[in-house]
Amino acid sequence: MDLTTPRPLLNKDLRRKIVNMVVSGRNGHIPSAFSIVDILETLYSGFLKYDPQNPTDPNRDYFILSKGHGCVALYSVLHKHGFLSDKDVAEFCKPNCMLGEHPDCNKVPGVEASTGSLGHGFPFATGIALGLRIRGLNNRVVTLVGDGECQEGTVWEAAAIAAHRKLGNLCVIVDHNNSGDQILGMEPFVDKWKAFGWEAHEIYGHSDVDLKATLDSMTFSKEGQPKVIVARTTKGRGVKMIEGHGPWHHKIPNPEEYKMIMEALA
Amino acid sequence: MSTKSIRQQFADTMLEVGQQDENLVVVVGDISHFNLQPFAKACPGRFYNIGICEPGMLSVGAGISKAGLTPVLHTISPFIVERGMEQLKLDFGYHKLAGNLITVGGAFDYSYLGVTHHCYNDFALLKMIEGSEILHPGTCFEFDTLFRQTYKSQALTLTRVPGNSHDVELGKEDIRFGKAVKVADGTDVTIVVTGPQLSNAMAARKLLTNRGHSVEVLYVHTIRPLDTPAILESVAKTKRVVVVEEHFENGGLGDDVLRAVKDLPGFRFGSRNLGTKFVRTYNSYEGLCALVGLSPEGIAAAAEELFSDVRRSTRLDSLNAGHSTPQ
Repeated sequence: MDLTTPRPLLNKDLRRKIVNMVVSGRNGHIPSAFSIVDILETLYSGFLKYDPQNPTDPNRDYFILSKGHGCVALYSVLHKHGFLSDKDVAEFCKPNCMLGEHPDCNKVPGVEASTGSLGHGFPFATGIALGLRIRGLNNRVVTLVGDGECQEGTVWEAAAIAAHRKLGNLCVIVDHNNSGDQILGMEPFVDKWKAFGWEAHEIYGHSDVDLKATLDSMTFSKEGQPKVIVARTTKGRGVKMIEGHGPWHHKIPNPEEYKMIMEALA
Repeated sequence: MSTKSIRQQFADTMLEVGQQDENLVVVVGDISHFNLQPFAKACPGRFYNIGICEPGMLSVGAGISKAGLTPVLHTISPFIVERGMEQLKLDFGYHKLAGNLITVGGAFDYSYLGVTHHCYNDFALLKMIEGSEILHPGTCFEFDTLFRQTYKSQALTLTRVPGNSHDVELGKEDIRFGKAVKVADGTDVTIVVTGPQLSNAMAARKLLTNRGHSVEVLYVHTIRPLDTPAILESVAKTKRVVVVEEHFENGGLGDDVLRAVKDLPGFRFGSRNLGTKFVRTYNSYEGLCALVGLSPEGIAAAAEELFSDVRRSTRLDSLNAGHSTPQ
């Protein structure tokens, strides 16, 4: 896969929605959301099986956002695909709202896990995949983790368990925006997954075409190698001012910054 | 009295229940896997020795629950409730998912293994999980009965499987989830006791009876939800209560009993437990019990203090000061 050639910016509408939610709710992680929003939209626009009118449909695929702090991107996608109303989105991070700064699966339709503390969603997804197989079901399980999250020991406990148990119905996507590298280097990252027994792919993480092609190339089965897609992403992708690992991690744009961001996303 | 260990009963119960309920899945952290082989053979695809990775085991167990099955998660107590506390809080508690935690090595059952394998705070920690249930059966029959009564509940249920059984014959109909058992009637002092210490409590009752005291004994196999009405009724009558448990002083059965009776006028409170310090001494289980006063004489002494004006200075004395009635 081509990891380096610049590509056109996708999902400007979702990015604008993310910024509007964060500015309105005075909370949220814009750069983390911009890092994953293209992945989420690709999953929900043609890969995952779901019914927004019946979020707990027994035939659905399971998606678990393990890096819960990126949830404003998930909210924007769930809104686009009919899980959330305009009112839900407008009330993001308002008192007594449904949509908080980390997702609550007992409140938000379409959210399978209440994440935020890193290192929980992926092992939880591993258990769901194992449980579905025990029940003889064919649902697929996809979870999205961050590269910084992969410093958590439980990530590698789950990686070992899933490989040993041959959970061929499980796919992990790593939002690899290099957040973790500045703290604790994990390269050669793809090789680590291979060494744990995973079918590993590496893609440019802001390409819907590449992600869809990779997902479609995989064989999901009750018993087989679990799969990982290391998606090389850019934190804050889409607005140069907030890209990277600086002060924008949890920053709320002021009116002037908001104007500049919206112009960049026009 | 059966010589079978409660741990073996756990394996036997899994075999029986597992054959009747295809949703039961047993996951262990490299412990009791030999005992559970009959279950593994009888229930193919539903037994997993997941590895020595307890936090991962707990999250995987929560996922199994999310997938619509009934997980039983089993390993040594500190590795579940201490190491895995955040997994219990979030993956089960926050998610409102049900599951069954079956632990061995509670308190100092692994007496010679030292503090790494002790766990005297499991009751306290599990109480921090919203909606949790805590069981402490003292015999094989109690384990089997309570498991069957609770394993399909919508709660996260911890069962501390003790390494020793008590030797008191209880009526089979007495073992009901959430209900204390009145083992002996009395009018002067109530001993509230949990787990295998029931044997010592009954021996203490004999000592106290010989010294002229009338002792009621309430046996508590369900730590949470506590049978508050039974405790209130007894202590309202006796005005004195001693709580006996293999647990730290903080957060155990004693705290809950004290909270239950706090509005009774003129009661006095005593306890026999593990205080607030790690048990750093190597000894047998029986030797450690004797060391910390979990013995017939130790329990009797705690009760007799409640009949005396001269009392030990303890944290609980200060808590109880507002209710103390000099005798």
